[in-house]
Amino acid sequence: MKFKTINIAILAISMAFTACDDYLELDPISDATSTNAYKTASDAEAALIGAYDSFQQEYYIWDNVIFQDVISDNHYAGGDNPEVFAVDNLDIQPVNGRLFNNWSQLYNAIAKTNVVLAKIPEITDPKIDINNRRSQILGEAAFLRAFHYFQLVTLWGGVPLILEPVASTDPAETQKPRNSEQEVYQQIISDLEFALNDKLPDLYGTDASVNKARATRGAAHALLAKVYAQMPERDYNKVLEHAQTVLDSPAGYSLLGDFRNLFDGNNYNNSESILEIQFVGGTEANFGPQLLLPPSVSGDTWRKFVTPSKDLVKAFDDEGDEIRKAASVLFEAAPWADEFWSLQVNGQVPFAYKWKEANGWASTNRQYLLRLADIILLKAEALNELGRGDEALTAVNLIRNRVNLPAVSGNNPEEIRRLIEKERRLELAQEAQRWNDLKRYSRAVEVMNNLVEIDLRTNQPKSFDMSEAKLLLPIPQQEINRNPLLTQNPGYN
Amino acid sequence: MLLAFLVISFSQLAQAQSKRVTGKVVDESSLPLPGVSILIKGSGTGTITDLDGEYSLNIEDENAVLVFSFMGYVTREMPVAGVSVIDLAMEPDITSLQEVVVVGYGEQAKKDITGSVSVVGAETFVARPNSQFGNLIQGKMAGVQVITPSGKPSAGFSIRIRGTNSISGSSEPLYVVDGVPTTDTRTINPADIENISILKDASSAAIYGAQGANGVVLITTKKGKAGAPKFEFSAYGGFSQPWRTLDVLNSEQYRDLMTEFGQNTDWSRYTANTDWQNEVFQNGSSQNYQLSVSGKNEATTYYISGGWTQQTGAVRSSEMDRYNFKVNLEQYMNDWLKIGTNFNYMQYHDVDVSDNQAVNQGGVILGMLSTPPNIGIYNPDGSFTSNPFQDWENPISSTDGSQRGYKNQRVLGNLYAEVDFTSELKFRSSIGIDQSTGIYDYFLDPFRTSYGRANEGIARNNTDHSSYHIIDNTLSYRKISGNHNFTALVGSVLQKYKWENNNIETRGFANDVVTTTNAGSIILSAGNSKSEKANASFLGRITYDFDEKYLLTANFRADGSSSFGPGNRWGYFPSFSVGWRLSQEHFMEAITPTVDDLKVRFGWGLVGNDQISSSSYAYVGRVSYGANYPIGGVIAPGSYQSSIENRNLKWESTEQLSLGLDASFFESRLIFIADAYIKNTSDLLLNVQLPRSTGFNEGIQNIGELQNKGLEFQLSSINTQGELQWSTDFNLSLNRNNVVNIIGEEIIAGGIAGRGDVSYSIEGQPLGMFYGYVYGGVDPETGNSFYIDKNGESTFTPAADDRKFIGNPHPNIIYGMTNTLSYKNFDLSIFLRGVQGNDVFNATRIETEGMTDAKNQSLAVADRWRSPGDVTSIPRASWGNTNNSRISTRFVEDGSFLRVQALTVGYNAPPSLLSNFKLTGLRAYVTGENLFTLTGYKGFDPEVNAFGGSNTVMGVDFGTYPQTRNLIFGLNVSF
Repeated sequence: MKFKTINIAILAISMAFTACDDYLELDPISDATSTNAYKTASDAEAALIGAYDSFQQEYYIWDNVIFQDVISDNHYAGGDNPEVFAVDNLDIQPVNGRLFNNWSQLYNAIAKTNVVLAKIPEITDPKIDINNRRSQILGEAAFLRAFHYFQLVTLWGGVPLILEPVASTDPAETQKPRNSEQEVYQQIISDLEFALNDKLPDLYGTDASVNKARATRGAAHALLAKVYAQMPERDYNKVLEHAQTVLDSPAGYSLLGDFRNLFDGNNYNNSESILEIQFVGGTEANFGPQLLLPPSVSGDTWRKFVTPSKDLVKAFDDEGDEIRKAASVLFEAAPWADEFWSLQVNGQVPFAYKWKEANGWASTNRQYLLRLADIILLKAEALNELGRGDEALTAVNLIRNRVNLPAVSGNNPEEIRRLIEKERRLELAQEAQRWNDLKRYSRAVEVMNNLVEIDLRTNQPKSFDMSEAKLLLPIPQQEINRNPLLTQNPGYN
Repeated sequence: MLLAFLVISFSQLAQAQSKRVTGKVVDESSLPLPGVSILIKGSGTGTITDLDGEYSLNIEDENAVLVFSFMGYVTREMPVAGVSVIDLAMEPDITSLQEVVVVGYGEQAKKDITGSVSVVGAETFVARPNSQFGNLIQGKMAGVQVITPSGKPSAGFSIRIRGTNSISGSSEPLYVVDGVPTTDTRTINPADIENISILKDASSAAIYGAQGANGVVLITTKKGKAGAPKFEFSAYGGFSQPWRTLDVLNSEQYRDLMTEFGQNTDWSRYTANTDWQNEVFQNGSSQNYQLSVSGKNEATTYYISGGWTQQTGAVRSSEMDRYNFKVNLEQYMNDWLKIGTNFNYMQYHDVDVSDNQAVNQGGVILGMLSTPPNIGIYNPDGSFTSNPFQDWENPISSTDGSQRGYKNQRVLGNLYAEVDFTSELKFRSSIGIDQSTGIYDYFLDPFRTSYGRANEGIARNNTDHSSYHIIDNTLSYRKISGNHNFTALVGSVLQKYKWENNNIETRGFANDVVTTTNAGSIILSAGNSKSEKANASFLGRITYDFDEKYLLTANFRADGSSSFGPGNRWGYFPSFSVGWRLSQEHFMEAITPTVDDLKVRFGWGLVGNDQISSSSYAYVGRVSYGANYPIGGVIAPGSYQSSIENRNLKWESTEQLSLGLDASFFESRLIFIADAYIKNTSDLLLNVQLPRSTGFNEGIQNIGELQNKGLEFQLSSINTQGELQWSTDFNLSLNRNNVVNIIGEEIIAGGIAGRGDVSYSIEGQPLGMFYGYVYGGVDPETGNSFYIDKNGESTFTPAADDRKFIGNPHPNIIYGMTNTLSYKNFDLSIFLRGVQGNDVFNATRIETEGMTDAKNQSLAVADRWRSPGDVTSIPRASWGNTNNSRISTRFVEDGSFLRVQALTVGYNAPPSLLSNFKLTGLRAYVTGENLFTLTGYKGFDPEVNAFGGSNTVMGVDFGTYPQTRNLIFGLNVSF
């Protein structure tokens, strides 16, 4: 009896020994791994969808507005966030947490596109080549990568070009120095040309909610127009060429008849939209509107962000631009004090109003990533720069005509340039375009230092102290801490 | 090999010669005592009693003396004097030297221990009733730091044994309850604990291998004792409250401050005068009942108990309650097989309050300090009021605005069988389980809070299920031959963990009638996830002593973990320790009457750590789903790489050298223990922050080295005996932590209210040093704070590189002292505890003295600078500008304290009284906890950490729920 027990015990122990290695081999249950996640055509689609999902990150929801509209003369910070106040005050320190968040989100988005570009060519599932889908996916990913690098290069100038998935924690792999601004622009152009090279389609079918969600040829040309206009070695011939390609696209982009329909929440994926962030509510919803919309819409009583500036409201009023003003700004009694509009609680304060519904942090309201009116005004800009002022004015007046404003005329390129700049401001307020426009026209320093915004608490104009150095944001300190190869932009320490 | 063992043991019987002595040895309750060593004095030969306690021995000399010895019992010498039958009833040895100490996979007499093991027994627990076992050992053992990061009833505690050993991994010790490892310590019922052993050094912890790097806490629960069934009932109840409140600005002063900012409002709407501390703090209460029955007869040992404890916190709405049921049962099936179980069921519930956050994030403690008194609690419509200038709701919205609660049900226990092949060879097999289900429910009604209104109500339900099992098989052998004592143990351990989580969040509620997620109109998120981890181990141990003089313990353990890649899965962890009992040497005989025991111990060992908090699949490059995006109006599934691959990931290991001295004087009336150690942890499992340009935030790597070294002293004395008994236990320890190498990285943590991070860990410094600016003072001209830059110049705008190390959160020493006195039927216990030399970063003051926004401030700012020429230490108010309240020396305070942690007065009813009521014991007592604290700290309490048990952030007070003062009345009855 005893010895039988001993035998059982010995058997048990020896079985334990042999069973061990299998026992310790555990794969994640609720995650896939880099070795099994990219095998089939639908794996490829999922990786690409993951890349599109980055458009729902906070940068594209409203931080781009902070760094284009709040930083400029369009809007005040509003709200209660010191780091947004710092942007409004043009007092952005390298430690400002929003910089690091934006940098991180954009690079995370780029990493997802790198995975698609690296993994999808290796997929052997034959389904992936049905209807040229593999090429389309690669084109879409290349477009997305270009789109994100365009954000990075306009915010920070030259940044590290990361074009492959990082699959090692070795510092030699993870720490890369900055590339030049020119190299980044070259990469953006080369990605877009790659995407246009027999990859992206004009349309994915007849469903607008696909065609405006995915990268298309129209989107790639529109982005190229913007890139050639913004890069230091500007090429207005290219701007004109690509803008015209968008206008002539088989996708049939056209201006909506009524400007108000663009922002009423009832005309998503309309004919004027080239690319827009898709929000459908629930888990795929836009939290941004709750931050901006007034108590009557949002149901909140706390101070809202991105308050239209006196200068912007004046610009609408000076132009008599009632339609676009009404679509962009809403005045309402605010149950808080606002240092520019009313120190008294319950005074009239304007609200950024291109979104119309908050829906309890879960709005379906969208932001346009690329919109035809922007491209038409870019075309006007290119025509003007190329000495074709009359044609430029025709394009501008197309935009003005829609909002019942009289045609304008200008006598010289400089005057027309200003007309276009103003038109872009009124047309594209709160659409994350203004700071790039001011930088492109080399007007940022002049405009900001001449801006008079009276702080009612002190009755003193707010000091912006704009300088050339501030045209680029500081590289986030947290990133420099992690990557000592990065150098800071001049003017920051 | 087994046969060889048997041959050795039986060979003892082969020397039949002149005279045979036989007999039976029993224990104090007349039960057979197997394994008793019987030596013929002076000869080096002898035998061991068998399973029935019987022995038989041949002797040559009729005048021989037999020495009977058994661990935990008084050694007896019996002259043979011609008789042939010697039966003996052995008595337990209550002196500390013979005290049996629970060690890993076994027990050892204290005198034979060569590692560093601290023990707290039930007698210590009597003096201090408590709902958490962490409090039982806090301040009682040298080298063991029990950190209670907050005073919440729901707060756990964290234990650091000989310092913090890891950075990204866990630094918590392994807790083992009756042989079953566990991580949740909140649900363990202290009333069921018999004793706690803490294995502090590598040589004693190495038998737990991979899980022992941070030390091991062995908890042994109560067993039945021989005699009639014993019923024990205990009850206590008490009150708690914060021991300090802080002064804040009154309504008028708040209005002045806002006016100074240029913030105007219609003040006639804000005429209340609410004392928020009075509203939020309340008189907490606690009650606890425990009933147990235990006993032991020839075949069966049992202990059955049930208990209930309930606490209402000193902060409104916080509460905790717990039910415990326990059965410990052991049955001899026959003379070679014993089967037993230790089984626990617990049900735990708490309601947490949100602390460690600013009022704008819903923090209650900062909320009560920074909400102006000018507003009442409710608006006329029943909703919560807000700050006059911001929609920061008052702190009652955080305590009362949501319905929330956590409930946990847990089964922890094991089944075991022990087979005695011979009296020397035993096999033990045990299966242990720890099954736990925790459910968190949350409901925010759609009316009373602004977040609730915006979302039209929110409900969340989160269920966590964890399942764990451990299978242990050990074979142990013990041999006494002459002066040679030898034991050996081999075994295998298999462990498997499985975690499951389900969660759902819905919003859009019609009303607050139904508070569960099903009543919401929109499912905001819903999902579940699962993960697993497995460990396999093989262990071995040999102990040997010669003549109780020279002691040796050697351990070896091979550990495999599923957390590491195939090439690095196994780690090998040896250790050894040696002891020399000088008091047994002849040359010490002269002082033996004074010195009963003098032992030096030395140990070396290597112990591993595989506890990676971020994921149990740390080495794998994981691809997660959920990056979904709508295309064509339909939400399409999206994937993303959620972690960076590291196939080279391997064990973190800690090498420890330990040197100790045990001395006992005057028949154990004075006991002194000293230990010195150096621990070097290498291949740290470090979650290194990666450049975000990689697309990843961090990646786990084996990088760097940490060192802890320290000294520990423990002194116990019986000062008076007789009618007045007075004993003192004192312990003192110091630990020095040093980051030796983290490849030049800075580990930055502890973000404070938009001011950046306060805690930096860099090479050559201890973990989590405070890093910031050097505060200069207030400029009388401008009222702005100035700082001292790196060149020693004053500046208003210091640069990042002007910062330096401004404080150390690690204490120089921690100490505790317990004095126990008893006189006739009364006893008194006074427990003092303290830490010395640590800094606390009082970030609460950044919020309450910063004067940057519409928050109410502490009364200190009444002295703020207002006009040029004012000389004051408080800068001017400056809206939206944090330059006057940077992280600086201004907010670093000395966190040293000496605390009367517990004072208990008890009365034990005399036998004459007891017999009238047929009772065997009756004790009534009063305990005061935290009665008095001597500290220079200005906040609520110096013993807090807003970052809980973090390895890299310590000693930061940011609106943390303070430790409370408690008064407890209790009664213990046994019959």
